[in-house]
Amino acid sequence: MNTVTDKVSCDQATARPLTRRAMAKQQTRSKVMIAARGLFREKGYEGATIRDIANAAGMSTGAVFANFADKSDLFQAITVEDVMELTVAMRGAAERGRGIEDALLKMFAAGYAYYKPQMPLARAAFAVSWSAQDGLALRDLPCMNNILELIGEQMSLAVGRGELSQEAEVRLRSQMLYDAYLANFGQAVFNGWSLDALSARMRDQIRILLSGARRG
Amino acid sequence: MSTRGLQKEATRQRVVAAARDLFDSHGYEATTVREIARRAGVSVGSVFTTFRSKGDVLSQVMEERLGALYSELDRMTPKLRGSTCDRLRSIFAIHCGFEASRHRLFLAHIAAAYDWTASGDARPYGRTPRLREIIGDCLADGVARGDVDPRADMAQIVDLLMAAYAWTYRLVAWEGADAETLSGVMDRQIGLIAQGFEPRALQSA
Repeated sequence: MNTVTDKVSCDQATARPLTRRAMAKQQTRSKVMIAARGLFREKGYEGATIRDIANAAGMSTGAVFANFADKSDLFQAITVEDVMELTVAMRGAAERGRGIEDALLKMFAAGYAYYKPQMPLARAAFAVSWSAQDGLALRDLPCMNNILELIGEQMSLAVGRGELSQEAEVRLRSQMLYDAYLANFGQAVFNGWSLDALSARMRDQIRILLSGARRG
Repeated sequence: MSTRGLQKEATRQRVVAAARDLFDSHGYEATTVREIARRAGVSVGSVFTTFRSKGDVLSQVMEERLGALYSELDRMTPKLRGSTCDRLRSIFAIHCGFEASRHRLFLAHIAAAYDWTASGDARPYGRTPRLREIIGDCLADGVARGDVDPRADMAQIVDLLMAAYAWTYRLVAWEGADAETLSGVMDRQIGLIAQGFEPRALQSA
């Protein structure tokens, strides 16, 4: 019964036409986000101002503020959009993997491939996440745990299949795999590493980090 | 050194000391060059004749800070005993104790490294060749002692240890963890990485 009502309310939500006002607002929002992406990519988080973003979007700063509380709010909206898309890509990649090492490698490679064309944006996200002022709001976004949870899922599946031992310390190992994956972004950002180089590095790291968890 | 050279070096040292305190108490973003100059008792102009930018000041503050850490590590490492895994734990524990005590300064350094408006002069976080060397030596000694597999890829192991450390440091940055908590987490992570470099025969024993 629940599923039926859920479905009905869901259908109603999608079927209900947006008012012109709501549509205009949504269009403004997406115009601001596109302009902001460009500027964050070009100037970094600190370097891009709301005024620049409004100019690039061809609107007033007032119109930007009508949609986003401040720059931090705007950056969060972009990050959420990216992380959601990234989660789908990484989950799909992991499902194509054969065995835990391959699944993890495909998943991380998908992550690097996603950010490769927009590395400056990844760099800006790292800068913000470490910053004292706006870092907390970004780190507290619920979607920030998505990737770590995906890794944990794959590890648990491998324990279930008997590929990894029951005492594999899934949580700690997942965290360390995630940390290694994130740390490699430094190579891409500062040293211009290619996707192949990143994957090769990740393959070795996965092997080392899983070596104590193998069965038998 | 000429009088002029000596004067310039004295200014440099005063600016570095003033900036270190201000970055650590107020953070990097909130500290202005004007404030640094005032605290150092020099003019804003003379800060800029000695340093290219605020980012450059930060780099030099960090260099001095890390220099002190590395001398401490150089003094301690010959005294370390036990397995390679335990020696690595000690090395990182020293590192944790050092960095946890001035975490705002290190945070400033990390954030500035990723921020290219401040960067250019700022040395990216994690480029610490001396620490890599110290860890590399520890692993090489381990091969000689027989508890590190000579076929292990040493550069990879060093990278993994550094990555584990860099990201574990967020516990300090984000959750206010102290040095003891930080090195406790590192101990477990180093133990796990050690499973990847210990010779097979030792692991099954």
